Amino acid sequence: MNEKEIVETPVTTTEKVSTPVEEIKKDIYSTDNVVISLKNVEVQFQVRARVLTAIRNVSLDIYDGESIAIVGESGSGKSVLTKTFTGMLDDNGKITSGEIWFEGMDLSKVETSAAWAKIRGVKIATVFQDPMTSLNPIKSIGSQIAEVIIKHQHKSKEEARLMSIELMNKVGIPNAEQRYGEYPFQYSGGMRQRIVIAIALACHPKILICDEPTTALDVTIQAQIIKLVKDLQKEYNYTTVYITHDLGVVASVADRVAVLYAGQIIEIGKVEEIFYDPRHPYTWALLSSLPQLAERGDKLFSIEGTPPSLYHKVVGDAFAPRNQFALKVDFVKEPPMFQVTSTHFAKTWLLDPRAPKIEKPITIQDLHKKMQKRDVKFD
Amino acid sequence: MKKKYIPINEPVVKPAVVEEISDKDLDGLFVYAQKDSGDSEKIDAPRYSYWRSVFRVFFSRKLNWVMFGILLVILLLAFIWPAISGYDGSSHPYINTPSEHYLMPSWYSVFTIFMNSEDAAEFMTKVSTTRLSLFGTDQTGDQLWDVIWSGTKTSLELAFICTAINMTVGIIVGAVWGYSKKFDKIMTEVYNVIANVPFLLIIMIFMYVMGRGFWNLVIAMTVTGWMGIAYFIRTQVIIIRDREYNLASRCLGTPISRMVTKNILPYLTSVIVTIVANELPSYISYEVFLTYLGVGLDPSKPSLGVTINTYTTYMDQNPHLFWIPVGVAALVTITLYVIGQSLGDASDPRTHMM
Amino acid sequence: MANEKEVVLSVRNIDINYGEGKHVFKAVKDVSFDIYKGETFALVGESGSGKTTIGRAIVRINPVANGEILYKGKKISGNLSRKEDLEVVKKIQMIFQDPAASLNERATVEYIVSEGLINFHLYNSEEERHEKCEKALKDVGLLPEHLTRYPHEFSGGQRQRIGIARSLVMEPDFIVADEPISALDVSIRAQVLNLLKKFQAERGLTYLFIAHDLSVVRFISDRIAVISKGRIVELAETEELFKNPIHPYTRSLMSAIPIPDPIIEKRKQLYEYEPAKEHDYSVEEPTFQEILPNHFVLANSAEFAKYKAKLVGNKK
Repeated sequence: MNEKEIVETPVTTTEKVSTPVEEIKKDIYSTDNVVISLKNVEVQFQVRARVLTAIRNVSLDIYDGESIAIVGESGSGKSVLTKTFTGMLDDNGKITSGEIWFEGMDLSKVETSAAWAKIRGVKIATVFQDPMTSLNPIKSIGSQIAEVIIKHQHKSKEEARLMSIELMNKVGIPNAEQRYGEYPFQYSGGMRQRIVIAIALACHPKILICDEPTTALDVTIQAQIIKLVKDLQKEYNYTTVYITHDLGVVASVADRVAVLYAGQIIEIGKVEEIFYDPRHPYTWALLSSLPQLAERGDKLFSIEGTPPSLYHKVVGDAFAPRNQFALKVDFVKEPPMFQVTSTHFAKTWLLDPRAPKIEKPITIQDLHKKMQKRDVKFD
Repeated sequence: MKKKYIPINEPVVKPAVVEEISDKDLDGLFVYAQKDSGDSEKIDAPRYSYWRSVFRVFFSRKLNWVMFGILLVILLLAFIWPAISGYDGSSHPYINTPSEHYLMPSWYSVFTIFMNSEDAAEFMTKVSTTRLSLFGTDQTGDQLWDVIWSGTKTSLELAFICTAINMTVGIIVGAVWGYSKKFDKIMTEVYNVIANVPFLLIIMIFMYVMGRGFWNLVIAMTVTGWMGIAYFIRTQVIIIRDREYNLASRCLGTPISRMVTKNILPYLTSVIVTIVANELPSYISYEVFLTYLGVGLDPSKPSLGVTINTYTTYMDQNPHLFWIPVGVAALVTITLYVIGQSLGDASDPRTHMM
Repeated sequence: MANEKEVVLSVRNIDINYGEGKHVFKAVKDVSFDIYKGETFALVGESGSGKTTIGRAIVRINPVANGEILYKGKKISGNLSRKEDLEVVKKIQMIFQDPAASLNERATVEYIVSEGLINFHLYNSEEERHEKCEKALKDVGLLPEHLTRYPHEFSGGQRQRIGIARSLVMEPDFIVADEPISALDVSIRAQVLNLLKKFQAERGLTYLFIAHDLSVVRFISDRIAVISKGRIVELAETEELFKNPIHPYTRSLMSAIPIPDPIIEKRKQLYEYEPAKEHDYSVEEPTFQEILPNHFVLANSAEFAKYKAKLVGNKK
């Protein structure tokens, strides 16, 4: 990552957590393995007479084959961020500065829909939250998958049909051949989302963006869809970018996590680093508010106040007004990204050598032990 | 030039200082800041006022200024000029002065610059000289300018009265229709029968039976005119009726009368304004059409329809007599419609956001 | 924890249907449970399970087709006189799920909070009403100056708190909270939950908490009933349910919830549940039976024996 000021701080892990043996992957976090790279991206929206800066200077490298989760609450800009690499920003939005490098192209400069048609759905596909509005209600399910195959892979109708049925099987639709001709309303919500995934994978994209794909689904279906996306990743070798606000889902799907607040990435790292060794007070706050960590008689931790309005220029650290560990400098100047390990970075003045040394809150210490105690075990 | 930063005592800092701060200057700031806990709940946006926002949004479009201006001028002329001119279609002072008949508007004299002196002289005999005439005169020597504004006044009165009656009855009936399932059953059947008979046909039948006249036309237009509105309101009420905030009101024991006035109708403001926007001009159009067919207003009382009808025969010889009333009728219709639509959009609170 | 075992709300064998005649949809089938004074009783299920329908039947928005609902011994389902109806409104209140839809956008916060007071004229003067509103807002952590504002000027969490203020100003004894935090951001949920707990402690309120998120429910409720497709499948005290989930639906629900711990999640096995395969009710219909003290499960005798055997096996 190219950041302005990188300060090495000694890595302090308060708990020893060993990685399960079967999970040791080859090191994919090297610079020649970057599949898409955002550099100093800024996105602004024109709303009536005012300008909303939804993304404020985000730089992010995403590596081939990884699974990265982008976590944020409403207003953080997480959906907007991924819409920049498929050209799906609303009409009043624009990438006002920065670059997005993908396969040698700067996506921020792509203008025409013809140019986007070669990328969107083909190289970078998105699965959205609501499967009902993602599918065409008056076309049969099978034809919607086949259509994508015919258009981009130039296959014949019959070949496309067979490939579609194959895909439907892969995403777990029972009796795929019979159900090929059915319509979306004949499918349940979970089934529809599987079809949306099938359509997204039809052209073997390099990047699959999942924008809160399970928020509208029941938790049992959610678990199945998450598992599906993970299993298919092993087979199709795509990079998953998962957008969510649910830390449970993050723990389940992600290798790396980027935490977004008020249009900026404030912390990024491997999933174990973020959960067991978080450094930014906002990440601490997010983790502290997990109900699994609360004891029954106590108050649940919550962050007071609301995120800042991005219609105004933000001075200093955007989280400062709500941060119980705020320093005076947080109100004066925006902190740079500080490095914690080669994969873990956080944008907080607390990592500056001059800052007072504080431990993360007690609530989130020994996170793994606490979660294990709460885990429901059954055979 | 390096600016000196201000030591921070309270959390607010003026942005101008930030850019110039070097890393060294920050040394003293790595201590905890005090915060005021109530601040996080404060809303610093200015207070929201519904109607002020409506007019702000409405007047933010230049087109609306233009339309509003035109309509204002038309309304003023229509309601004030007839009082000044005294014209009401009953007396024709110049009817026996043929030289005052069929005169063209005074400002037509500019066209003489395109003509040679002979043609110009002939032309000028047809142009009004003794009286200043903006629109010329008709076959009775009356100023078209007087006739038109008296006519517009009548047409507008008709439109406003019919719209007012139909809207009031339509909204009340529609609200009850949407709320009460029992009433819904009966009313829907009635509606299905009546709605399928063309509205104009109903009016024509009534007028044929009752004869021409202003109040007869009002009755004919309002006997069934409210039904379409009621049906529309009923559909809207059904959509809104089961929304959570209405369930919440029911949980709190709110009586139906207040549910309608405080919960339902305010949401329908935008819809109601849009309906009015379509209603007003439509009555003007109906009146013109019906008078043309002879079942509208009495020709003795001027209205746009009467005027257009009377002057149709002069379309070839004195085209200005025909086209000017048509133009005014069209202008009234268009401005009412555009303003109504814009106001309808502006009344929708979603357009007020930012 | 409920100290006195006084039953405040009793739901007895209710059926709730949508539609009539041939197209009737049986949303709730033969549901029964009791709620004790001062406790938080959670009703957990997925969409379409009928949990919201039950909540709305208690506050008399949905009619009950069969069975009855009793509040402190008096019947509150079915037809009531206007006076009785008003009594119910005063004692039982509801908090709704969607902060965007549950407030009247075109009314000021003051009107919204006062609505119930105005309906029953629960004040002696305008000043008293205004004071009550101010106090209600302060209790939920908002400022008195917010009374003149409109709902859209607030964030989701603040709006939900306005909804709570609206219910609390009526000084009810029993509150049905229908997924009050599902639509809120994760870090804001705690604000609302803490408020609910605070009021319960201060005012001795009893809650029916309807939710689909078992982890939240574990934190605040005393007893949990799990509902699936209109029937309650399991009912037990909170920790007991998590220690010994018996019904396969309950187990699949628990297994499906993602735990925010990467190591646990990566090792987890998903427990899948298919009702058709798990249950065979062709011969014998299931009934709601007590399998452990205060722990009930929906099973026919064959299943009951199976579950019992497993429990004994686990103990060894």
